Amino acid sequence: MKGRQVARPDNMSGDDTAGGPRDSQQAPLLVAPGEDLGDSGEYSAGHGVVAMNGRLRAVKQGRKNTQDGTVSVEPRRTAYVPRPSDLVIGYIEGCTSNIWFIDIGAPFNAILPMSLGPSKAEFGGIRKVLDIGDAILCRVQEVEENHSSVVTMKGMGLRAIRSGTVEEIDPHLLGRLIGRGGNNLRQLKEETECRLIAGDNGRVWIDGEVTGMVEARAKLNDLLMEAKVAEYGGVA
Amino acid sequence: MGIPLVPKLLRAHLAELAENDSRHDGRGRFEGRDLELEIDCLVRAEGSARVRMGDTIVYAGVKFQIMTPYPDRPNEGGLMCSAEIRPVAGRGWEPGPPSPESIELGRVVDRGIRESGCINVEELCLIPGEKAWQVILDLFAISDDGNLFDAFALAGIAALKSAVLPAERYEIGEDRPLGVAKTPVMCSYHKVGGRFVYDADKREELGGDERIHITLGDDDHVHSLQKGLKGIFTAAEFDEIMVEARSKCAELRSLLDQKLAGE
Amino acid sequence: MGGYGDVRCIDENGIRLDGRTVGEIRPISIEVGVVPVADGSARMRWGLNDVIAAVYGPMEAHPRKIQRQDRAVLDVRYNMAPFSTTDRIRPGFNRRSREISKVTAEALESVVLTELYPRSKIRVEIEIICAEAGTRCAGITAASVALAHAGIPMSDMVVSVASGKVHDIVVCDLNKEEDNYGEADLPMGILPNSGELVFLQMDGDLSPEQFQEAWDYNMGAVSVIHEHMVAALKGGEA
Repeated sequence: MKGRQVARPDNMSGDDTAGGPRDSQQAPLLVAPGEDLGDSGEYSAGHGVVAMNGRLRAVKQGRKNTQDGTVSVEPRRTAYVPRPSDLVIGYIEGCTSNIWFIDIGAPFNAILPMSLGPSKAEFGGIRKVLDIGDAILCRVQEVEENHSSVVTMKGMGLRAIRSGTVEEIDPHLLGRLIGRGGNNLRQLKEETECRLIAGDNGRVWIDGEVTGMVEARAKLNDLLMEAKVAEYGGVA
Repeated sequence: MGIPLVPKLLRAHLAELAENDSRHDGRGRFEGRDLELEIDCLVRAEGSARVRMGDTIVYAGVKFQIMTPYPDRPNEGGLMCSAEIRPVAGRGWEPGPPSPESIELGRVVDRGIRESGCINVEELCLIPGEKAWQVILDLFAISDDGNLFDAFALAGIAALKSAVLPAERYEIGEDRPLGVAKTPVMCSYHKVGGRFVYDADKREELGGDERIHITLGDDDHVHSLQKGLKGIFTAAEFDEIMVEARSKCAELRSLLDQKLAGE
Repeated sequence: MGGYGDVRCIDENGIRLDGRTVGEIRPISIEVGVVPVADGSARMRWGLNDVIAAVYGPMEAHPRKIQRQDRAVLDVRYNMAPFSTTDRIRPGFNRRSREISKVTAEALESVVLTELYPRSKIRVEIEIICAEAGTRCAGITAASVALAHAGIPMSDMVVSVASGKVHDIVVCDLNKEEDNYGEADLPMGILPNSGELVFLQMDGDLSPEQFQEAWDYNMGAVSVIHEHMVAALKGGEA
């Protein structure tokens, strides 16, 4: 029970998480829920941090980041919480005569009213437009207090997804997937000759020739593995 | 188990992968996932095993009890198999009474083991008409990423083969091995994208169609078969997987023998 | 003195059946990620206890009747596997498990920031694979780690441990014989940062002095256990 190996902080500056594998050179400062992160007078509380009794406290487990006067924790896993204007990939789970219910990977399904859908349907014909099990690319229009949301397909590029495959990654890794200025994503598209769209809910649409898609998926998995190593020294 | 949504895109993608002789995780058509087999991992059980196939993880535990033989079989003990897939194993597994899926799982694995005759129930008799050993095999899933059937079957037979009768605890004599001389092994094939593949994972199960479970004994004798879920298959398709099953079952059998021999 | 038959749990030198002194806790090891399909998971081995906790969520709270408009609910299930004890446990409804599930949920709800996810639920599945006294404590502790692993926000983790009395001597972290033959059991759930409590039960017979001793043993064990929890989350060996 002695000699526990715990990650040592090498430097506290922490930087923007949207970098690639280069970040793995510094030992990350890992924190656990309940850990004290300093005085709440000096810094403000960002994601994964709350101010309690004059102190900042981590409420999530992950890597501590200090940037622009805010201390936050980049967690190993985040449940997707929809925000207005998020681009998301969803699946039709059900419908009434004029509303579709969409699974967007959040605690609650989103609603897509027919008026915001791809086209108007005749009465009783809503499933001819979008059927149960169909996949769509849509945007979050508004979010209620309890995180249930309304999505829209009115907008550029928003459409039903009829080919390809959708992979899921943890939303907080999107930065790594996309890369600075979109570099990583662009490189992946070129190398595999696939269309790639990353939704803010962690769902990634890949479309192209079968061999290209297989390659894209493999590279995606490699990237996720690298991210785990960078964040935690190799433990999932 | 709640009925999961099957995205149409998934089915279409699995079909185009199949046409390309690919699987979504890069495996070959009859290739299994990484397999881990551990014996004697539960100290409170008289026989135990843990099997991991990819991200599917299950335990099997053997416990013995003393039973009164059934009136029509006074010289026999008993074997009971019980399968539980608790909510711990996945988002889709809900609490409550056993679902039809988990009941089918338990019964199919039970048949494969029982029909091979690998447990001699007469040897379990202690006093005819009065006392006999009851062997209880509990199959317990803790992570479901597909193909619980094969994981349960392998863990089950591994636990039985390493089980020791706790005679001392019941003051009936000395502890001795249960003595399971045969090794029935199950292989399951799932139709995904229009063709049967071995060791389907959760995604393939979700987007796939029917499945076939084959339990073979040491000499390639067939001990149980089960076709599950909706779908139609041909005799030729069945012949193809039966050939595969023979070689795969032999492979798993020899892996188990190695483990039991302490390697 | 105390107990059935001739089982002597502590010898004349103050050494217990498993070689510990009266103030020591059993060996502990914790790892995360043991249920790959879950949102978060942890395994805790504590003495011979082997406990797995898995977390799913937050998700929509079904059935409707358990939903709360202002916060998430914790849907906790504590269960012992049939092969976890010397005498097999028949699967099915069990009152003891139901009670432990409830007090565990109440302990964890005291630290999880549930207001962030109104109308939803967070499932916590605790499975005892192998049992050796103190399973509810191991369950609560493993569940805390699993919740953290799942990224569920918590103001602190819960460290749970039980001390008690056997042969009229107060001991820390009861083992199986001490639990069976002893005279008192005091399990507690403590927040490492503040020393505050979120879980407390007791049964048996303790004088005021003995009660204080047992209480202090539990409090004293918190930092060691907490170190294991944090190390497991940070990816070090635990």
